[in-house]
Order: sequence, then structure tokens, then C-alpha cells
Amino acid sequence: MADDLGLDLGKKKKSKKVIKIDGDDAPVETGVEAVEDGLGELNLGAKKKKKTPKTAGEEVVEEKVPTLEIGIGAQNLIDAKGAWPDYTYEEALTLVYQVMKDKNPDFAGDKKKFAIKLPEVARAGSKKTAFSNFLEICRLMKRQDKHVLQFLLAELGTTGSIDGSNCLIVKGRWQQKQFESVLRKYIKEYVMCHTCKSPETQLTKDTRLFFLQCTNCGSRCSVTAIKSGFKAVVGKRAAIRRAEEATAGK
Amino acid sequence: MSIANLNRPADAFEQLETEDGVRQGVCHIRIQQRTGRKTITTVQGIGTEYDLKRIVQYLKKKHSCNGTIVEHPEYGEVIQLTGDQRDKVKDFLIKVGIVNESNCRVHGF
Ligand SMILES: [Zn+2]
Repeated sequence: MADDLGLDLGKKKKSKKVIKIDGDDAPVETGVEAVEDGLGELNLGAKKKKKTPKTAGEEVVEEKVPTLEIGIGAQNLIDAKGAWPDYTYEEALTLVYQVMKDKNPDFAGDKKKFAIKLPEVARAGSKKTAFSNFLEICRLMKRQDKHVLQFLLAELGTTGSIDGSNCLIVKGRWQQKQFESVLRKYIKEYVMCHTCKSPETQLTKDTRLFFLQCTNCGSRCSVTAIKSGFKAVVGKRAAIRRAEEATAGK
Repeated sequence: MSIANLNRPADAFEQLETEDGVRQGVCHIRIQQRTGRKTITTVQGIGTEYDLKRIVQYLKKKHSCNGTIVEHPEYGEVIQLTGDQRDKVKDFLIKVGIVNESNCRVHGF
């Protein structure tokens, strides 16, 4: 493991150098990697310097990635005679899945992507955001809009409501990707079966707990109750105080 | 009692405790929007045995942000930090062992 780390660092250092030579106009895709590199360097900076002379030699060995010919491999699984390269566990696993897929085209174990519409987001005034297809998305997820709304507002730590034209108005400035990531969280917790990941589930309330019942595998498990928890005071304190005084005075 | 809950026993307990308000052991890290593009990070549910003052002091210095401790009747002492410090706070709390991965929830987008 330690060796692996050393190797990685050595490589990363090289890629970093390349970027430096290229100048400031480094390709945009490497942006995330570059940030990670920076972190790695911070943590293990001292170690890396000592190791650099070694890694140059080791790297060459690492470069020889064994190439796997899928055709031969798949054949071997059915007929064990003939060439038989050393598979890693992952390679063998993909081969097995490939065979399973080929033999059972409508096999349930195949990962079915649960597609959902992208949230349509527009600015409503300067301090509010309109989420126009919220109800439609709730329908697609087969969940009550009240429940989804409660989760959405609790996660974003804000307030909001559905207006006359079935459009959700949320306080604050939000982007599509932010709603999307919250909806993703919702699906992971309240739509997808926790055992088999199937979206064919029902959310039922039993006494005080919500249960997620899967129609595909029959599993039933409790899910976290939605609670917005602590909310910091963010608006104008003077206005809040005025409101409090007004109600106290009455 | 059926064995329906093998997946997430921790959550079932968590819900049973909500009637008292304070959930022991689960730390919630949240984000709230302020004016403009400013945000605030809140950390709720750090064990009472820890010195929040020192934690805040460290986080303020380390991440160059302001921070304070707010006393809440239901949730106890809550840390507030300016800006989106959710991932940094989570990493820190896990690293020093105040919380572990499974009882630390990061909320928000
Ligand atoms: Zn299932």
C-alpha cells in the first residue's frame, strides 16, 4: 500500500510538471485532478522528495498493464480449454456479468438506470427561485409532493411553497444542479430500495415511522424521518425583533 | 419484531429518540443561504464532552472564517461558521475522532 502511494505521488508530480511547462492555459478537464494533486503534495510533501529517484525505475514496471482480450476470456468461461490468462478479480467479475447478461437479456440484476427529469429552474424576483416542474417530478418518483417538499426545504435550510400555477417557489437563489443533487439524495433515501436498488418501492407511514417497501425484492426497512433541525438566524435581526415586540404587545 | 431492519439499525434508533429532541451521537452539518451568495454552516450534535470553544477557535483559524457557538433549547450548543465549510468540518471531526463516518450527516446540495 505504501509503495502504491509512493508510485501515485511520483506520477502525479510528473503530470504537474507538464502543466507548469504548458503555462497557465492548462486544459480545463484536469482542473479537479490538479486540486487533488495539490492536496497530496501538502500531506506528503516531505516523503515524496526522498522517494523520487526510486519511483522512476518502478514506474516502468507499473506501466505494463496486462491486456485482456474479451473475446478469448468470454470463450474460456464456457469452454475451459485453450489459452487462459491470469484474470484479476475485477476482470473475472465483468466477464461473468457479461455472460449473465448475454444469456438472460431481461435479467433483473442488470442495473436499470432510474431516469428522472431535470428540474426546471428560473429566478423569481431577486431573492426567490421558481421550480416549475416540481410536481411532475414528484409524480415521476411516485411520492407525495408534501413529503418531497419537506425534504427539499429541510436540506436546503430554507422556506418555500407551491403557488397557484403549481410552481414551487423557494426562498433563496438556487441553481438547477443544486436541486438536482438534493433530489438525488431524496431518491437514494426514499425511492430506491436499500437492498436491491430498485425504484419499484412504496413509502408507507406506520405509527410514527416511515417504511420503504420494495415491490421487487420484498424488503422493508425504515427510513429517516425528515427533520430540519437547527436553523440559524439569517435575515434581518431588527425586523425579527420588531415582529416579536409587536406580537408581545398585543 | 420482524427482521426488516437489518440494513439501517442506527436510523431506527435515531427516530425513536426524536421525541426527546436531542439525538445523541448523530452530528448534522447543514448549510443555509444568507444574503447574496453568502452562506452559513451549522454543526449540530457534537457531544457535550467536547470543548466547543476550542473546536470553533481551531476551525476559525484553520479555514479563515468567522464562527460562534449558539445555545439552542432543543439542540444544545450549535456551532455556526461563515461560508460553506461543510466538507472541511466533516473531515476535521472525523479525523480527530469526534464523530465517525456513519453518524455524521452532511445536508444541503
Ligand atoms: Zn428491493
